[in-house]
Amino acid sequence: MYGDKALELILELKRAAEGSLPPYNEDGIRQVLEETSVLYDQNQADVLRESSMTGAESLLSAVQFRHTCLERNQRCLLAYLHNRLEIIKEMRWEFGSVLPPDIKNNMSEQESQWFNKYSKSLASYMRSLGEEGLDLTQDRKPPKNLFIQVRCLRDFGEFETEDGSMVVLKKNSQHFLLRSQCEPLIRQGILEHILS
Amino acid sequence: MLINDIRLQFYDKIIHKRVLLLVSHDVDALCACKILQALFHCDHIQYTIVAVAGKQDLERAFLEHSEQLEFVVMINCGGNIDLIELLQPEENVVFYICDSHRPIHLNNVFNDSQVKMLVNSGDEFNLPAYEDVIRNEESDEDDSGNESDEPSGKRRRFDEATLERKMEKRRKRREWEQNKERIMYDYDEFSFYGTAASLVMYDLAWKLSKDTNDLLWWAITGLTSQLIAKRIDREKYVSDVTELNRHVSRHNHRGNEDECPLSVNSMKISFVPELQLTLYKHWSLFESLRHSAYTACTLKLWTLKGQKKLNEFLADMGLPLAQSKQKFSAMDVEFKDNVKDWLETSAKKFGLDNISVPSFQVQFGFKHKYCALDVAFAVDALLESVNTSKSAEERFMEALDCLSRTYIDKLEDGLDLCKQQMMGVVNQVQSLLDMKKVVSAGPFLYAFVPDGTPGSKFFSRPNCLMTLGRFTLEAYVKLYNRRKARNLPLVVTAPLDFENGTSLVVGIPPLPELEQASRNFFGKAFEQAAEKTGSRTLHDNFEPSVVIMRTEDRSKFFDALISLLQ
Repeated sequence: MYGDKALELILELKRAAEGSLPPYNEDGIRQVLEETSVLYDQNQADVLRESSMTGAESLLSAVQFRHTCLERNQRCLLAYLHNRLEIIKEMRWEFGSVLPPDIKNNMSEQESQWFNKYSKSLASYMRSLGEEGLDLTQDRKPPKNLFIQVRCLRDFGEFETEDGSMVVLKKNSQHFLLRSQCEPLIRQGILEHILS
Repeated sequence: MLINDIRLQFYDKIIHKRVLLLVSHDVDALCACKILQALFHCDHIQYTIVAVAGKQDLERAFLEHSEQLEFVVMINCGGNIDLIELLQPEENVVFYICDSHRPIHLNNVFNDSQVKMLVNSGDEFNLPAYEDVIRNEESDEDDSGNESDEPSGKRRRFDEATLERKMEKRRKRREWEQNKERIMYDYDEFSFYGTAASLVMYDLAWKLSKDTNDLLWWAITGLTSQLIAKRIDREKYVSDVTELNRHVSRHNHRGNEDECPLSVNSMKISFVPELQLTLYKHWSLFESLRHSAYTACTLKLWTLKGQKKLNEFLADMGLPLAQSKQKFSAMDVEFKDNVKDWLETSAKKFGLDNISVPSFQVQFGFKHKYCALDVAFAVDALLESVNTSKSAEERFMEALDCLSRTYIDKLEDGLDLCKQQMMGVVNQVQSLLDMKKVVSAGPFLYAFVPDGTPGSKFFSRPNCLMTLGRFTLEAYVKLYNRRKARNLPLVVTAPLDFENGTSLVVGIPPLPELEQASRNFFGKAFEQAAEKTGSRTLHDNFEPSVVIMRTEDRSKFFDALISLLQ
């Protein structure tokens, strides 16, 4: 059936776990593009035939049908790419300018180019804010508390806080630290946030 | 230095500073730590919590974390050891110690600048006077300095007088030394426990007007854990409970129920007389009666006669056997509602006069209803879990978690663990008695837990071994009913680490003393016995009557102990 392949792409993206980026399906996209070009060629031939000989109106409905399929394929491809870009954009905010390698591997060449450009423009925008720049990626939701309770999951060693004091992060010790300082460490899996 | 005004002299000093919290492995310390954490959260005081199991841990944790830190708070550890000597801290480090272990080390008491002891103002310490135990060294030196300055010519003339003065001084010194030794001996002889650390912390929270029902519950749990570990006597417990009950009624006072209905999920604490039966609300009544020290020992359940007596007891209560073996929560409502009253009346006929103790229970939501005794048991079981995949610190963290309401399912795990532990203890007591393994050595009784028995892994943990010891002693005394045995203490050893060949030794004071202040003289005795024989022992635990020993040295250690106690 025409359009099945395109739908498959969309579903694949939809089924992926929240906040993760499935591998770029180059093969699928190529198949959709092939299908589209086949449809286009057939339409082209039919239109030529129709204009060359009169009384071939019966072909017109087939042309119409193929054209709809073609447009649908196009829409699906655009949706696929757009949604992937949205995920990548979200990841820029989540992880910062350096992405974990497993995510990077799932991106296409163009996507990583786009990511770099986006990252650059975001960084330069953040630098231009205020006098010394402002990190917009922090505290995206208003925090309930300035400090949080964290527990060390593995030995990290000394960690210098913003006020210059040293905290020794050793496995199975529990700390009460500034949220903003802990966030990167929590993302790296060194600290665990505990709710009380 | 002892501090009485904890708010002014402790809390106001550390506010807005970074603090290192060293917490020992016991339920009371955990509860106190929870309370302190809650206070620190209110005031944004940054802290680091490190769990310490023994003196070596304490030293290591201090070394690792002390950089740039000025304030160290210790909970239930460090009070009975000479901290300055052990840790060699920088001049600016201040230790705040909230420790229920008694006696407090005198160097800690008399150090005015660096060591501050947080204590309850109502406690009595029987501290010796300063000049009796610490001699002013300067005055001695001055005198000797004068002597050498004196020109030799003059010296001859005053020789007689100087000599006399010298003799006099020496005699005085010797007298003073003897006096000091006597005083120190009196002071150090027994180890015991004072007011729970969690109560001291709760008191602080109350004075800061930051106490809530949660904090109150932790204080209750801490106090209850002291009772079940027999660290305080009933009298002290009851007076502390009365104190807490004032807070309970203040916090849980409701006007008219209809006017301001509270959400079901809010925390409600109520004062109830509770049965001293282990986990009976989460077990079956039959099992609970079998596994509680008080009932098992009084009814002598180790014998056939005792078993019959238990059935008789249940019949007297009017509770069908099938129901009593049912899970308590699944018992018929009619029985469940009345069982407490029936049990109390029947208990009196069977000589179980003290079966109920004043206690508290907590409820949040429809499902979760716990009494303080059960929670204290469960937390202790989590701390002493024998799961080999978890390190001591992980067990500590888990136990710390299970005290907060978000992790209530961990508490349920603890209840299950506690049941296993109690079954292990009862089986061990039974086998010790059946095999007649409790032997009198003259001045004390002793029992070895043999290696390789199914329950022996439980007894590699100090609290569990102490529970076993108390249980065994009580069972032995009640079973044989010898007058002489009544006043004998008990020493129990259990294998700790088979590969390294170490065992754990605990000393249990004689029953009459256990029932009163739980004063324990084994700390000093163990130390001396080890010193005399050169046994390889490790006095690492904060509780002095718990030591780790090389298994090979056991016999000579015991020989020394026998001659020492005679």
